[in-house]
Amino acid sequence: MTLKENIRHFFHNIWKHRVHVLMALPTFLIMFFFLYVPMAGLVMAFKNFNYNDGIWGSPWKEPILGNFDFLTASKELFVNMTTNTLMYYVIFTLLGTFLNVVLAICIDQLVFKKLGGALQSILIIPIFISYAAVQFIVYAYLDRDTGMINHLFGTSIRWYAEAKYWPVILTIVKMWNSVGYGSVLYMSVLAGVDQQLYEAAQIDGANKWKQIRHITIPSLIPMITVMLLLSVGNIMRSDTGLFYQVTRNSGALNPTTRVIDSYVLNSILHSSNFGFTAAASFFQSIVGLILIIIANFVVRKLEPENALF
Amino acid sequence: MEQKVEQNVEEVKRLSRKEQKKLDKLYDLQYGVKAKKGVGQYILAACLILYTIIVAMPILLVFISAFADEETLATNGFSYFPAKWSLSGMNAVLRYGKQLATSYAVTILITVGGTLIGLLCMSLFAYAISRRDFRLRGFLAIYAMIPMLFNGGQLSGYIVFTSMYGMKDSLWLLMLPICCTTMNIIILRTYIQNSVPEELMDSARIDGAGEWRTFFQITLPLMKPTLAAVGFMMATTYWNDWQNALLYIQSDSKKPLQLLLVNIQKNIETLLNARNIPSAALAAMQGKVPQYSATMATVVMVIGPIMILYPFFQKYFAKGLTMGSVKG
Repeated sequence: MTLKENIRHFFHNIWKHRVHVLMALPTFLIMFFFLYVPMAGLVMAFKNFNYNDGIWGSPWKEPILGNFDFLTASKELFVNMTTNTLMYYVIFTLLGTFLNVVLAICIDQLVFKKLGGALQSILIIPIFISYAAVQFIVYAYLDRDTGMINHLFGTSIRWYAEAKYWPVILTIVKMWNSVGYGSVLYMSVLAGVDQQLYEAAQIDGANKWKQIRHITIPSLIPMITVMLLLSVGNIMRSDTGLFYQVTRNSGALNPTTRVIDSYVLNSILHSSNFGFTAAASFFQSIVGLILIIIANFVVRKLEPENALF
Repeated sequence: MEQKVEQNVEEVKRLSRKEQKKLDKLYDLQYGVKAKKGVGQYILAACLILYTIIVAMPILLVFISAFADEETLATNGFSYFPAKWSLSGMNAVLRYGKQLATSYAVTILITVGGTLIGLLCMSLFAYAISRRDFRLRGFLAIYAMIPMLFNGGQLSGYIVFTSMYGMKDSLWLLMLPICCTTMNIIILRTYIQNSVPEELMDSARIDGAGEWRTFFQITLPLMKPTLAAVGFMMATTYWNDWQNALLYIQSDSKKPLQLLLVNIQKNIETLLNARNIPSAALAAMQGKVPQYSATMATVVMVIGPIMILYPFFQKYFAKGLTMGSVKG
C-alpha cells in the first residue's frame, strides 16, 4: 500500500467514524483549553511577564534564562521549598503506603466481616473533609489558649509559631485524612485472592504470619507498584490544602512547611515575584515529567506487566 | 394420590434443605467464612475498633464544639465534655442567612453541574475510543493520558484563565478545569471494554440504532455502577474545592461554601491582628464575629451533606476504585 492510499484509508476511516469524532470532541476541547494551553503557558518562565501583554505578548526575558537566575539568587528559599516538597513526598508515600497495606491486611484478616465493613466505612470518612475544614479541627487541638493538647498536658506551647513540630503534625493529619481511603484499594485486591492458596498453605503447616508473608503481601505488590508509579509524577506537587490551610499559612512555620505549591499559591494571591515563581513552576513540571518517565522505564525493565506505558 | 404428591414434595424439600446445608458447609470451608475465632481475632478486632475510634474523635469534636457554649469554649478551651451546651453557634451561622443560602446554592450548582458535564463528556469520549476500528483511538488515548504526566501548574493556569480567557470570577472556572481527568477516563473506558457486552451494542446497531442511540440507551444505562462511583468521587472533589474558589471568585454572590469557610478564618485573623482598633470596639465586634462555636457550626454545615450522602454511594465505591487500577 502506498503512502497516499494509506492516508486515504485513514481519512476514510475518520469520515466513517465522524460521529465518534464528534463524541470525543467535548472532552478534547475541555482538555485542550484547560489542560494543554496552560502547559504551553509554562513558556512564561522565559518571559518578562506583565499583565497587559499577557503570556504570549510579553517580551522574552533577556537573557533568556534570566528568570532562573532568581532561583540561584534566592537559593536558600528555593532549596528550602524543594527539599520540603521532596521530604513530605517521601514521608507521605512510604508511610502512607505502609499504613494502607497494614490496615488492608488487618481488616482482611478479621473474621468478623460485618464489623470490618462497618469500621472501614467510618475510616474512609476523613477523606471527604476538605482541608479548609480540617484546619479548624487541627486548630481546636493546637490553639495555644483554647486548644485541647495544651489543656490536656498543661503546656502552653505556641504550636503555630514553632516550626519544628510541624513535620510530625502534618504527617499525622495527612495519615488521618488519607489512610482509610487508601486502604480500600488494597482491600479489594485482597478480596480477589484465591482462598485455596490459604488452604493449601494451612495444610502445609504455614502459620498466619507465613501466610501473610508469602501469599498476602506478594499479591499486593502489583497494586503497590502501580500506585507508587502514579504518585511519582506528583513528586514535586503537594496537597496544597495541607500546607496552606492546615498551617494557617503561618509565616513562622515556613522553614518546615513551605512547599513549592504553597509558595506559588501565595505568590499568585499577592501578585508577587512572578519571575521567580514562573521559573520554579517550570522546574516543578519538568522534574515531575522526567521522574515519571525514569520510574516507568525502571519498572518496565523489572516488571513490564506493571509499567504505565 | 394427592397425599403422596405432598409427601414427595416434603421429601424433596427436606433433601434439598439437607443438600443446601452441605453446600453451605462446603462454601464456608472453601471461603473460610467461619474460620476459627481465636484469641488473636479478638485482639485484632479490639485494635481495629480502638483505631477507628481514634480516627473518629476529631470529627466528633467538631459536632460537639458546634453545640458548645461560646464562653465555655473561650475560657475552658475545646473539650469533648463542654460544661455548657448552647445553640448560639448554630444561630450565628443562620445569621449569615442569605450568604449561607447563596453559598449552598453555588456549591450545589458547581457540584451537580461539574459532575454531570464531566460524566457525560468523559463517557462519550470513553465510548468513542473503545470502538476498535476507529483509527484515531490510539491518538485520543494518548492525548487523554498526557495531562497525568505533565501539567502547567497553578501559576500558568491562573494566568491563562484570567488574563487570556478573561474568566476571572466565573463559575465555569470552578467546573471545567477539573471535570475531565485522565484517571476517570481510564476507569470509564476500562469499564466499557470489560463490562458492557460488545454483542449487546452490536445487536442494537444491527437493529438500526445509531451510535448516539446505542450510547444513550444501551451503554450509558449499563455503566451505572461505575458512573455512580466516579460521579461520587467527582462530586466530593467539587464540594471540597476551596483553592480554585480562592483564586478566582471575588463577588459574594458566587462564593461557594468552602470559600465562606476560608474567609471566616480570614475575618477572625484580621480582627485579632488589628491592634489599632480600640479594645472596646474589638470586644463589641467579637460578639458578632463568628468565633469558636460558630466556626465549628459552619464546618458542620459544610461537611454534613457529604456525610449524609456517603452511605448511599458506599457500595459502588470499592468497585469503582478497583476498576481504575486496571490500566486500559
